[in-house]
Amino acid sequence: MSENVAKTEKKKEAGMGQMIVTLAAICAVCALLLGLVNMLTEPVIEANETRKKAVAMQEVLPADIDDYKAVTYTGTDATVLNVYEVAGKGHVVEVDCAAGSFSGTLAIMVGINEDGTISGVKVTNTAETSGLGSKADDVSFKGQYVGKSGTLAVDKDGGEIIAITGATITSRAVTAGVNSALAAVDQLG
Amino acid sequence: MNVKQQLKEGLLTQNPVTVQLLGMCSTMAITTSLFNGIGMGLSVMVILTLANVFISVLRNVIPNKIRIACFIVVIATFVTMVDLFLKAYMESLSASLGVFIPLIVVNCIILGRAESFAYKNGVAVSALDGIFQGLGYTWVLVVMCVIREFLGAGKFGGGLLGEGGNGIVIFPEEFAIAGLSRPVGGFLVLAFIIAAVQYFLNKPKKAAKKEEVAQ
Repeated sequence: MSENVAKTEKKKEAGMGQMIVTLAAICAVCALLLGLVNMLTEPVIEANETRKKAVAMQEVLPADIDDYKAVTYTGTDATVLNVYEVAGKGHVVEVDCAAGSFSGTLAIMVGINEDGTISGVKVTNTAETSGLGSKADDVSFKGQYVGKSGTLAVDKDGGEIIAITGATITSRAVTAGVNSALAAVDQLG
Repeated sequence: MNVKQQLKEGLLTQNPVTVQLLGMCSTMAITTSLFNGIGMGLSVMVILTLANVFISVLRNVIPNKIRIACFIVVIATFVTMVDLFLKAYMESLSASLGVFIPLIVVNCIILGRAESFAYKNGVAVSALDGIFQGLGYTWVLVVMCVIREFLGAGKFGGGLLGEGGNGIVIFPEEFAIAGLSRPVGGFLVLAFIIAAVQYFLNKPKKAAKKEEVAQ
């Protein structure tokens, strides 16, 4: 056994050239495998993303799935990611609230009726503290936005949105995002 | 080394978490629901087994000096593959495990087994080692999930059972120790589990020692 080990040890004493060739070969095989797997999974992942988005859009502003038409947003607010229009019903705005959030990842979807009032809010992507900031997606909090319009603020800042206990920062971030969405749609007319 | 001994090592005497103290970070971070625990455990098991087999096959080709680099390339490949498959076919698991799947690349259990086992042993035993060590990791995760979920949220089987997959409510959440579902709870529960396992593993030795003294 020990002789055998010594033999393999010796074999593993390779020169620079062999090391480069071996590592390059392993990398090449791995890259090939990854490419194959990516080719297999990419369309499925994309379909998942689209479906997830569609579900979120239907939640904030119910409409037929084919009725959401992307609109080009020309305003200066960089947090507005995408704007979709539903003819005769209103708009859905996707806003990135990461800048004001507690943990650096927070995106919301806001549905706005034709008359400028909010039809629904949904947190689509979050890394806020579980049990505190994560409650932003609870109906008890996000339900407060429904029917409101204009410029909103949380209760600590003199507004009418009651902030989540222990997560004022998240509440403010979501409220700021909703305001951005309202402003964006207002600008579109 | 026979299969039975390998199984015992993976589950108890050389358990990756409670004895080797590897992969602590993911253990504490993701054990908040039973679904997460099982999903993470199985993902690690699959990656560990594949990486072990691959490295064991290549063990005579990989030069000693660059072995760590080779291990990392192989491990990263399998982790990315699993990550892509989860994103495509098990979206909810992928969403709840989040960054911890990609982070398996730097999970010491896998690199540790590659270095200390697969690089020195045959393909079949390395594959078994991957499965058993993976099982060892999984059971610790599951136990932690059950304890943290029960005491921290009054639930059982979060993500899998109950209404809407939210877990079976055993007692109302307001009576639970909410801290246990936060990171600090991970440290506490893991410490208790390690202490308990170490106690039972060391018990026979102590008894033997006492006998020796008595004689």
